[in-house]
Amino acid sequence: MPILEARNVSKSYSIDGRPITVLDDVCLTVAAGEFLVVRGASGSGKSTLLTILSGLDRPDLGRIVMEGKDITELSEDDLAPLRNKSFGFVFQAFHLVPSLSVLENVMFPAELYGDRHAEAKAQALLDRVGLSQRASSLPHQLSGGEKQRCAICRALINEPRLVFADEPTGNLDSANGDAVLKLLLELRRERRTTLLLVTHSVEIASLADRVVTLRDGRIAGNI
Amino acid sequence: MVNVRFVRSQIACSKRQSYLFVLCVILSMVTLVSLGSFSRSVQKSLLRDARALHAGDIIVRSHEALPPTLTSQLELLTRQKTIESARFYEFYSVVRSASGNASLLANLKVVEPGYPFYGTVELASKRPFAALLTPGAAIVEQGVLDRLHLTLGDTLLVGSARLTIRDVVLAEPDRPVNFFALGPRIFIAAAGLASLELLGKGSRVEYVALVKVRQEKRLAETVAKLRAASPNDAVQINTYRNADSRVKRFFDNLLFFLDLIGIFTLLLAGIGIQSTLSALLLEQQETIAIIKALGSKSRFIIGHYLALALVLGVAGTVIGLALSLALQDFLPILFRGLIPARVELTVSAGAIVEGAVTGLVTVLIFTALPLSRLRSIRPALIFGKAEPDAPQRRSTMAIAAGGAIFFAALILLKIREPATAGYFMLGVALLVLVTFLGATLLLKRLMKWRAQDLLLRQAIRGLFRPRNATRAIMVTLTAALAVIFAIRLVEMNLDASFVRSFPSDAPNLFFIDIQPGQKAEFKRTLGKEASYYPIVRGSVVAVNGSAIDREMERQKRGDNLAREFNLTYRDGLLPDERILKGERLFRADWSEPQVSVLDTVLKMEPMRLGDRITFRIQGLPITARIASIRTRTEAPLQPYFYFVFQQKELADAPQTFFCALRVDKKEIAGLQNRMVARFPNLSVIDLTETASVFGRIMAKLSMIVRFFTSFSIAAGVLIIVSSTFATRYARIQEAVYFTILGGRRRFILAVFGVESLILGAASALFALIIAQSASFFLCWKVFALSYRPFAGESLLLVVETTLLVLGAGVGAALPILFQRPAPFLRALGDE
Ligand SMILES: Nc1ncnc2c1ncn2[C@@H]1O[C@H](COP(=O)(O)OP(=O)(O)OP(=O)(O)O)[C@@H](O)[C@H]1O
Ligand SMILES: [Mg+2]
Repeated sequence: MPILEARNVSKSYSIDGRPITVLDDVCLTVAAGEFLVVRGASGSGKSTLLTILSGLDRPDLGRIVMEGKDITELSEDDLAPLRNKSFGFVFQAFHLVPSLSVLENVMFPAELYGDRHAEAKAQALLDRVGLSQRASSLPHQLSGGEKQRCAICRALINEPRLVFADEPTGNLDSANGDAVLKLLLELRRERRTTLLLVTHSVEIASLADRVVTLRDGRIAGNI
Repeated sequence: MVNVRFVRSQIACSKRQSYLFVLCVILSMVTLVSLGSFSRSVQKSLLRDARALHAGDIIVRSHEALPPTLTSQLELLTRQKTIESARFYEFYSVVRSASGNASLLANLKVVEPGYPFYGTVELASKRPFAALLTPGAAIVEQGVLDRLHLTLGDTLLVGSARLTIRDVVLAEPDRPVNFFALGPRIFIAAAGLASLELLGKGSRVEYVALVKVRQEKRLAETVAKLRAASPNDAVQINTYRNADSRVKRFFDNLLFFLDLIGIFTLLLAGIGIQSTLSALLLEQQETIAIIKALGSKSRFIIGHYLALALVLGVAGTVIGLALSLALQDFLPILFRGLIPARVELTVSAGAIVEGAVTGLVTVLIFTALPLSRLRSIRPALIFGKAEPDAPQRRSTMAIAAGGAIFFAALILLKIREPATAGYFMLGVALLVLVTFLGATLLLKRLMKWRAQDLLLRQAIRGLFRPRNATRAIMVTLTAALAVIFAIRLVEMNLDASFVRSFPSDAPNLFFIDIQPGQKAEFKRTLGKEASYYPIVRGSVVAVNGSAIDREMERQKRGDNLAREFNLTYRDGLLPDERILKGERLFRADWSEPQVSVLDTVLKMEPMRLGDRITFRIQGLPITARIASIRTRTEAPLQPYFYFVFQQKELADAPQTFFCALRVDKKEIAGLQNRMVARFPNLSVIDLTETASVFGRIMAKLSMIVRFFTSFSIAAGVLIIVSSTFATRYARIQEAVYFTILGGRRRFILAVFGVESLILGAASALFALIIAQSASFFLCWKVFALSYRPFAGESLLLVVETTLLVLGAGVGAALPILFQRPAPFLRALGDE
C-alpha cells in the first residue's frame, strides 16, 4: 500500500475574480520509504502540490489518501496528531518559532506529544547537526544554514514517516545548501523516512528514487 | 515633495492601526470640544456677568444685624449720591397655607426696593418685579404653589403675617441655580419685615446690603470707607469681582473635575495615538528597512510618515468635530436639571478652534516619539538580523519633556492653579515610574521562570517575542487602567458618601431655631422622644493669637475656617463620637475656657492639643484652649459639631435649640403642620425630602462625570486593542507554526489565552493597586471622605479588563484556527 496518494487533485486560485488553475487533475502515488523529488519551473505549482499532499491546504477537487485513509476532509484538529507524529516539514523560509530558542524549537513537537525524553532527543539531534553550541540561541541570532539545520532537527524529532521539504536550500548558498541537503538525506536514510523534496537542483534529483516534473499544473515527466 | 501614493499605500497596508489612530484622535476631539462647549456655556450664561451674579457692585454680608456705624455710613454715602443701596434678609422659615393644613420650609428673601441693581428677577407674568413686590405681597417659586396646593391670589402664612401670592418667580440674577436650597424661594418686601416677627435672636439670618456705586472709579474708595465703618470682621465686604459665590464655586469645582478628566482622557488618547503609530510603524519596519537600503534618507522617511500621521490626524479631527456637533443635541439632555433651561448649551466656535488646535498639538507630540525612532531602523533588518537600536535617549527625553510642558501648560490654562498643575505632573511622572518599575520587575521574574508545563512556558515565552514591546504595552496599559480605575473609585466613593441610602435609625426631621423660652413648651407639644442640642452661632477669629486670613480661607476648595459655625456645649461625648487625642472631653486642671475640636477641623488648619482658638460670639471674643480632639464613627446623617464647649462657658450666650428626631414618614407632614402652627418662628427640615432632592442632583452629577469618564475608558479600550493588534502578526505566525507542528486548536487558544491573561491580569491588578492608593489619598486628603475600597466592584473592574485583553489577544489568532494554514504560511514566507 502506498504511504500517500493524490487522486485527481485540482486547485485553482482566483486573482481579481479570474480563476487560474495551478493543479489540474494531478495523480501521484508515493511509496513508503521512497525519496521523491518534485521539479518544475517557478510558478508551476510545486509548493501548492506539497501543501495539499501534507494537508496544509485543501484541494478544490480530488482526494488525498494516507495509508488507505482519506484525509482530505479531516478537520484541523484531526490533522493535528498526523502533522505532529507522522509528518515533518522543512521550508525554504525556515519558519522557526521566533520566541523559542534553538533547543526549544527542536523539542517542541516532542513536548507537544508528551514525550518525556524530548530534551535528550533534541540535544542528540543538535549534536548530530553540529548545533549543540547554539542550543540556547534565538533563531534571529542564527545564520541561514544554521536555521535550516535546526528546522531539520525539528522535522525529524518525532521520527515521522513522511518528510516534506520545499526547496530547503533555496535561501542558502550552494556550499551551505549542499551540506544541509546531505544532512537531510543522511538522516532520512538512517531512519528510512519517506522524503518528498522540491528542488531545482539536477544534482540532487539524480540521487532521488524518482523524479516528477510539474508543467502547466500537470505531471509532465514521471521518471 | 511628499509622494502621495506612498502615503496612501502605507495607510492601506496598515488599515487596522490607521483606524485605531483615527479613533484616538476622534476621541480626544470629542472630549475637548464637548467639555469646552459645556464649560463655555456655563461661564457665559451663568458666571460671566459677575455683577449680575451678585446683583450689585459691593456686597456687604453678615450673620448678625449690620452694625449701626456701617448702616449710618451707607446712609451718608447714599445722601451724598455716591451710591445706591438696598438691603435684603435671607433665611429659612416654614410657611403655611391659609387653611393651616399644609406647611413647607421655604427660603425667604426679604428685599428692599432697588434690588437687584444688576440683572432682573424674571416673573412668569413678565411684569416688573419692583412693581409687584409691595408690602403684603409674596412672589413665590412654582414649588410653593405645588406643594401647598395654592394658586395665584391665595393667602400664604409667613411667621405671623398673611401675604397674598402675586406672581411666580422664574429666575433671579444672584441665584442662577436653585439646587442648593433646602426649600423653594419666596420674595417678600422688606417694608413688611417687622410684621413677620421672624428675626429672633440667634436665628440664622443672612443680612445683606447691596451697593451700587454710581461711578465705577470710586469702587475701591467706597469699599475702604465701608470697611473702615465696620467694627469687626463678622461683616464681609466684597466687590462683585472678588465676592464669593456658591454657584460659582460649585461650577468651578465641577468644571475643575471635568477638566481634569478631560486632560486625562487627552493624555490617554495621546498614549493611544502613540501606541497605534508605533504598532503601525512596526508593521512597516521591513518596508522602511528596504527603502533605506535603497538609499533614502531618514528625513524622507520621517517626512512621509509624518504626512501619514497628519492625514490621519486631520481626518480624525474632522470626524471628531462632526461628532461633537451631533453631540450638541445630546448635551442639554445630559445637563437637564443641573443648569437652568434657559441656558443654551451650544458647541461654540471657540471650543472648536481650541479643540482643533489642542488636538493637533497632541497628535504631533505623541507621534514625535515613534517617528523619531524611525531613524534608528537599520537596513540590515531585511536580513532578519538587526534588532532596531535602542532609541536615542536624548531625543526621547526631549520629546517627553516637550509633552510634559504641553500638558503642564494645558493644565495651567484650564485650571489656573500652578500647584494643581505641579501635582498633576508629579502624579503622572510617579505613575509612569511606578508602573515602569513594576513591569520591569515582573517581566524579569517571568523571564527567569522556566515552567515545567509546555503550555505555560510557551505563553510566558510569548511575552518575550523579539520585537514584542511587552514592557511598553504593560506600562501603557497599567497607567491607563490605573487612571480609569481611580476615577471610577473616587466617583463611587463620592456617590456612596452623598447618595447613600438613608439609614433607618437616623433622625429624619429637624426643628431649628427653637428659642430658649420655647423649649419646655416645644417638648410638651411634640410629645415624642427627641434629642436637643443647644446652638450658639459664632466664628473663629484667630488660632494661637494669629488672625484668620478670611480672604485666603475662602479661596480654599474644601470647608474653611472663615465661615460661621454652630457651636454647642455639653459635658459628654455623643454616641457616635470617640476621643482621638486627650484624656477626656475636657480637663479638670485647666481653669481657662476649653474647647473640644472635631478632627475634620484639623484638615482646614493644623492644630494641636493645648492650642488656643479665639472665637467671636455675638460680637464678644472668647479664647478657648483645645482640651481634646474628637472623631466620629461616621454614623451618617447624625448631627455633629466641630466645636464643643463646656456648659458653663456658653450657657448664657444667645442661643437656640436644635431638635432631631426620627418620625414615621407618613407622620412627618402632620407633625410639621402642628408644630409650626404653634411655633411660627421654627424652621423644619424634612431630611427625607432634602435627601431625595440632593440624591437626584448627585445622581445627575455622577451621570455627567460618568459620561465624560466613558471617553477615557474608550481610550483605554483603544490602547488595549491597538497593543494586541501590534503583536497580531507575531501571534498569527506562531499560531501557524504551532498548527504545522501538530498543535491542536485548544492548545493554541490556551497558549494565547494564558499569555493575554498574564498580561491583562498583571496590568489590571497592578493598576488596581495604584488606583486604590491614589483614590484613597484623594478621598482622604482632597474630598475629606471616609474611604471605601469597593472590593467587589474593584474585582469586577479587574475581571472585565482582563477579559477584554483576553478577548483581544485570542481574537487575533482566531482566523487561522478554522482554515488550513497554507495561505498564512505563504504570506509568512514573504518575510
Ligand atoms: N494564494 C494565492 N493566490 C493567488 N495565486 C496563488 C496563490 N498561491 C499561489 N498562487 C499561484 O499559483 C502558482 C503556483 O504557485 P506555487 O507557489 O505552487 O509555485 P512553485 O512551483 O512552488 O514556484 P517556485 O518554484 O517559484 O516556488 C503561481 O503562479 C502563484 O502565483
Ligand atoms: Mg515554491
